[in-house]
Amino acid sequence: MVRLALVAFAAAGVMRTASPQQTTAPQTPAASELSKAVEEFRVQARERGLRADSPVQAKFANTKGTRWHGRLFENFRNNFLDAVPHEVVQRGGVQGLLRRNQYGFNLSGPVVIPRLYNGGSATFFSVTFEGVREKVGRSVLTTISTLPERTGDWSATVDSAGQPMPIYDQATTAVNPAFNPSASVSAANLQYSRLPFPGNRMPASRLDAKALEAVALLPAPNSGAGPFFRNNFFIFAPEVNTAGGLIARVDHTMRERHRLGVGLNYSNGADGAAPYYPNAANSGGVSRDRRTRRGTVEHVFTISPRSVNTLTADISTDQFVNLPELDAQGRAFPQYRFAPYLSMGRSYPLSRNARNTLQVTNGFATRFKEHRLRFIGRFTAEQVNSFWPQYPSGSYRFSAGLTSLPGIVNTGHGFASFLLGLAESAQRSVVISPSYFRRQSYYYAIRDQWELRKGLTVNLGLNLDTTTPRTEKYNRQSTVALDEINPVNGRPGALVTAKAGGRGRSFQPFNAKLEPSVSLAWNILGSNRSVARAGYSRSYSPVPVYLGQWGTQAFNGNPTWVSSNIQLQPALRLADGFPAGRAFPDTRPEAANNTVADLIDPSGHQPTYQSFSLSVERELAGSMIVTMGWGQSAGRNLLLSNSGSNPNAIPLAALEFRDQLNDENFNRSLRPFPHYQKFDVYSSWPEGKYQRDAGYLRLEKRTSGGLSMSAYYEFSKQMDNYSGPYGVQDYYNRANEWSLTVGNNPHRFSLTLMYELPFGANKSLLTVTDWRRYLVEGWSISGVSTVASGDPIYLRPQFNNTGGVVDALNVNVVPGVDPHISNPGPNLWYNPAAFAQPPNFTTGDAARTHPSLRGPGSQNHDLSVTKRFPLTSEQSLELSAVGLNFVNLANWNEPDNLIGPASAPNVNAGRIIGSRGGRVIQLGLRYSF
Amino acid sequence: MPMKRRLFLGTTAAVTAMAAPPPPATPADRALLRVPYWSEAADAAATPVVQAMLNGANVTVARLLGPADDLVLLLVLDLAGDLSRVDPARDAINARLKQLPANTMVGLLRAQDGLRVLEDPTANRESVAGRIQELSVSGRAGLLDTMETALGVGDAMLTKARVRVAVLYVSDSVVTNYREDFANPVVNSSDSRDMSRRFPEALIKERMQQIVTRVGRTQTPLFIVQLNYENDRLNEAYQTGLIEAATSTGGNAEFCRTLAEIPDAVGRAFDHVLAHSSAELEFKPAGKVWQYDVQLRAKGAALRHRTRFLPKGKEGR
Repeated sequence: MVRLALVAFAAAGVMRTASPQQTTAPQTPAASELSKAVEEFRVQARERGLRADSPVQAKFANTKGTRWHGRLFENFRNNFLDAVPHEVVQRGGVQGLLRRNQYGFNLSGPVVIPRLYNGGSATFFSVTFEGVREKVGRSVLTTISTLPERTGDWSATVDSAGQPMPIYDQATTAVNPAFNPSASVSAANLQYSRLPFPGNRMPASRLDAKALEAVALLPAPNSGAGPFFRNNFFIFAPEVNTAGGLIARVDHTMRERHRLGVGLNYSNGADGAAPYYPNAANSGGVSRDRRTRRGTVEHVFTISPRSVNTLTADISTDQFVNLPELDAQGRAFPQYRFAPYLSMGRSYPLSRNARNTLQVTNGFATRFKEHRLRFIGRFTAEQVNSFWPQYPSGSYRFSAGLTSLPGIVNTGHGFASFLLGLAESAQRSVVISPSYFRRQSYYYAIRDQWELRKGLTVNLGLNLDTTTPRTEKYNRQSTVALDEINPVNGRPGALVTAKAGGRGRSFQPFNAKLEPSVSLAWNILGSNRSVARAGYSRSYSPVPVYLGQWGTQAFNGNPTWVSSNIQLQPALRLADGFPAGRAFPDTRPEAANNTVADLIDPSGHQPTYQSFSLSVERELAGSMIVTMGWGQSAGRNLLLSNSGSNPNAIPLAALEFRDQLNDENFNRSLRPFPHYQKFDVYSSWPEGKYQRDAGYLRLEKRTSGGLSMSAYYEFSKQMDNYSGPYGVQDYYNRANEWSLTVGNNPHRFSLTLMYELPFGANKSLLTVTDWRRYLVEGWSISGVSTVASGDPIYLRPQFNNTGGVVDALNVNVVPGVDPHISNPGPNLWYNPAAFAQPPNFTTGDAARTHPSLRGPGSQNHDLSVTKRFPLTSEQSLELSAVGLNFVNLANWNEPDNLIGPASAPNVNAGRIIGSRGGRVIQLGLRYSF
Repeated sequence: MPMKRRLFLGTTAAVTAMAAPPPPATPADRALLRVPYWSEAADAAATPVVQAMLNGANVTVARLLGPADDLVLLLVLDLAGDLSRVDPARDAINARLKQLPANTMVGLLRAQDGLRVLEDPTANRESVAGRIQELSVSGRAGLLDTMETALGVGDAMLTKARVRVAVLYVSDSVVTNYREDFANPVVNSSDSRDMSRRFPEALIKERMQQIVTRVGRTQTPLFIVQLNYENDRLNEAYQTGLIEAATSTGGNAEFCRTLAEIPDAVGRAFDHVLAHSSAELEFKPAGKVWQYDVQLRAKGAALRHRTRFLPKGKEGR
C-alpha cells in the first residue's frame, strides 16, 4: 500500500497533511489510471505521427529528424591574429601575409519534391558544401645576377670576402708543362693554365644565344641587403589557394528491412605556388590543380532480426595536374641551375596523375548460438595513371669550374659558365606515354565473437588477403633482373621487360596471406567494474602502387650527359642543344647500363606486422575509468627507400683500398653490379625491421556537468634498422643498424578536455536571469595538450672521406668521456668531446642514433573557446576561437649534431640554435537551424 | 485477430467500464511540476513525507507517487549497428521484462529513422518481448532526433493520469551513424591548412546542448543504456552529452564497455526506473521565470532528485 501525503508549507513552516480526497489511491482502481495513461499515449502517438494509422501530416511532422536542419559557417584567419613565429623573429623577419576564408553550408532533412514525392522519414538527404579562399604571402631573400654580369661584365663582382672574382676563359685552357704532380695544385703549381677575360669582361660575341634569351627573362635586382651584391632580390609573392567541394548523401529506407544509401563527394582545389619570376622562367613551385570524386552505394538488408547483409560499392578518383607555363610553341621552360644564384625553370612542369579505386564489399552478420559471426568479402581494383616527366625541356647545371682557374677556389662563377653556355651536366626526360598501372586484391574474412561464458568474450578472426602484383595496361614495365646476365660484361643484372622473354605481365608473385587475430575481454571475477583485455594479431600489407613512372625505364628514359672533367670540358654547349639520344622504347638488356637503374623487388616479401596487447580497465568512483596496458608491435620486410637500402652498395671491407676508391672506375668495379651507378628501389625494398614496446596509463572521466577529460601517459621504446634522414652505414649488416628509432619519444603525455561551462540556466553556477545570462550562458572550451620527451640524437661526422663506399657515416665514440652534461641547455646540450670524426676510410663505431642522448622535449597546447547564443529552440549562433599553440610557446630546435675532426672541430656541436613555433588563431561563426 | 491484440482491447474495455472519476483539476492559475526522485530510506518502497522548495520558496506537494505506484515505461530501442551488441541487449531486456511488477505497463517504440510505436503500453510481457525479438536492426540512429518527442509523450501521460512515467532508451548509436552530419568529414582534401577540424566535436557539442536545453523543459525522466562505450573525441562529446541530457531530466545514462556488461547495465537501468518516485509540485507561476530550482527534503530519508526545470512556452525561452 502506498503511503500518500499531500504536504504544504505554510509561511510559518507548519506542515499540513492532505485530506483523503487528495490522495491518489485507493479511491480509484489503479488500473483506471493506467488505462488513462495508455489512452493518452495512443492519442499522443497518433497526433505525433508515431503510428501506422497516424494522419499523413502528423507522420510528416514526426520527430525532429524529419525536419530540415543545417548550418552556415565562416572561418576566418588573418595574419594580424597570429603571433610572429619564433623562428621568423630570430631571423629578424616580420609577420607574413595571410588571408583565409573558409565558408560553407550544410542542409539535411527529408527529401520532398512538391506534388511528386514526400520522403517523410523514409528518404533523407544531407548536403555539405565548403569553399576556401586563401592568400598566403611567401617572402624569400635570395641572390640573382647583377645587370652588368648579364652582359658579361664581371669587373665589379667580388667573392664573399669582398675580393675580386676573376672569370677565366675556358677556350684558353692549356696543360702547364711546369706542373709538379708530387705537390698539391696551387696558384704556384697549376696543372692547367687558363687566361682571365681582359678586364674581367666577357666579349658579347662569346655569349651563348640561348643563355641571352633566358637572361632577358630575369628581373632586375630589387634589394641592397648585401653584402657584396648578395641578397639582392627580395621576393614577396602571394600564393593563392582555392578549394570547393561538397558531400551529398541520400538515405532511403524500404519497409524497414532495406536501406539504400547513395553518397557523392566532389572537390576541386587549386594549389597556387608563389612565383619567383613573373614569366615562364619562374623557378618557384608548380601550381597544381586537384580533383577528387567519390561515389558510394550501400544496401543494408535485414534478412531477419539476427541476420544482416551489407553490400557496398565505392568508386573514387583522386587526380592532380601540374599547371604548366608554356611558351608559344607549347614547351615548358628548361631548367637552368647556376648556384649560388637563383635558378630558372622548374622540374615536373607537365605532370599529371590519377589514382582510381573501385571497391565492392559484402558483409554478412548473423548469430549462431553463442557465436556472433561476420563474413566479409571485398574486391578492390586500383589504377594509377601517371605522366611524370621531370625535365621535359631539359635541365642544365652550370658550375664555376669551367670559368675558373682549374684547381683554384674563388675563381669562376656558375652564372658566367651559363652565359658562355658551358654546361657541367645535363639531362632530359623522355616520356613517350603515360603509365597505366593496375592491381587487384581480394579479401575474405571471418570473425567470431564468442561469448564463452558470462563475463568472458573471445574474438577470433581469420583473413585471407590476396593481392595481384602491379601490372601495366600495355605491359610497359621494366626492371633489372639480378639473375639475368648482362651481355656487355657478362655479370648478373640486365634490363628485362614485362611480357617478353618468357616473363609475365609483372615482376612480382601473386600473394595470398592468412592473417589471424584473437582477442578476449574478461570482466575480472565477474565484476563489471574491471575488464581485462588481451589481443594478438598478424597482418600483411601489399607494396603500394606509387604515383610516378618508376619501373618503366625501357620505355621512358632520362638521358644524362656528364662532363668528363667538370673543370675542363663541358658536358654539352647550350647552343648545340641535346645530342640525339637513344630511341625509346629501348628494351635491350644493356639499355639501363651506366644509369641509376629502376629495380623492382622480385621476392614478393610483404611488410609483415605482429602485435600483442594486454590491458586492464577499472571503473573507479566518480565515473572515472583507469586503464593500464602494455603492448608490443613488431614488423619485418618493411619497405625501404634508397637511403635505407642499396642492393648495389660496395661492402665495407673495400675501405681497405683507401684512396683507390676515389677512382670512379675502380670504385664501380667493387659494386655487385658494376654496370649500374646505383639502383632506384623507390621505397619498395623489403628489408626494414622494427619493434616497439609501450606501456600506458589512461584516465577518463565524464560527468553529468558536461565535462569530459582524458589523460594519457605512455612510456615506449622503439628500435629499428633503417630510420633517419641520412640512411644507414652498413647495408649488408642490418644487425649493426639496430638502434633507437628516430622520432621515438619515450615519454609522452596528452590531456584532452571538453567542458560545457556550468554557467546560466539549467546549470549549477551563475544562474542569473536578467540580461547577464546572455553573457554567461553557452560557453564551452576544448583543449588538447601534448608534452613529449625529446627524440634520440643522431650524430654525424662533418666529413665523409670513405671514397663513396659509405653513404651515412656514423661518428666514433671517445672511450671514457661521458656524453651527458649536468645542466643541458641551449648553450650546450650534450658533450661533443665524447665523440670524434672517424679517420679517413674507416667507419664510425657509434650507433646510428644514440641510445641515451635525446634532444629537447616539446610541448603543444591547443584550445578552442566557443560561445553559443540560442536564438530559438532550434536555432543558434555560435562564435568560436581556435588557437593552436595558444600560449605561443617556443620549442627548442635540435642541437647541432655535426662532429668535426680535432683539427677543425665544429664549434657549434652540441649547441641549440633557435626555437620554433608560434600561436595561430582562427575565428569562426556558425548559424545552425 | 492476434491474441495479444484481443487481450489489449479486452483490458482496455474492462478498465474503461470502471469509469473512474477524474483527478481533481488543477486551478487555472496553478502550474505543476513533477519531480522524479529516489529515496534512500531504509524502506525504499515507502513514500516518505516530502517537503519542497521552488526557487527558494516553499511550495505545495500536491501528490506523491512511489515505487509501488503505477508505472508506464516507454522503452525505446535505437538499434542500428552491430548485431553482436544488439542480441545481448535484447536478451537482457526480455529477461528484465519478465520480472516487472504487475502494475507496470511497457510501451515499445523504435527510434531508427524516426520514432515509431511497436506496441502500445501493455502489461502483456510476452507480447513486448516478442516484438523486441522480431525487431530489425536497421536504419540510421535516431536517439537525438526522437528523444524530445518521446519525453513529450511521457509528459502528456503524466498530465492525464496519476502514474509514474519513464522513458528508457537502449541505443547502440554512434555519432557517425546519424543521418545528420555531426562528424564534419573533410570536404576538400587539398586544403592543407584547415584548422576547423582540429576540434571535431564542435558540431555534436552544439547539438547536444540544444537537446539538453530542450529536454530540460520536459518532466519525464530519461534513462539511456548506451551499448557502446567509445573514447574518440566525437563520441566522447556525444556520450558526455547523453549523460548530461539524461541527468538533466533526473534520469541517468549507462555505458557498456564489454558485451558482458550489457545485461547488468540494462538491469541497473530497469532498477532505476522502477525505484523512482515522483513528487508533483503545485505552484502559482510568478511572472517571467527562467528556471525552476527544486529542493526536496524528507524526514528520515536522503532524497536524490532532479534539481532544475526550464519553463515551457512564454514563461521562459
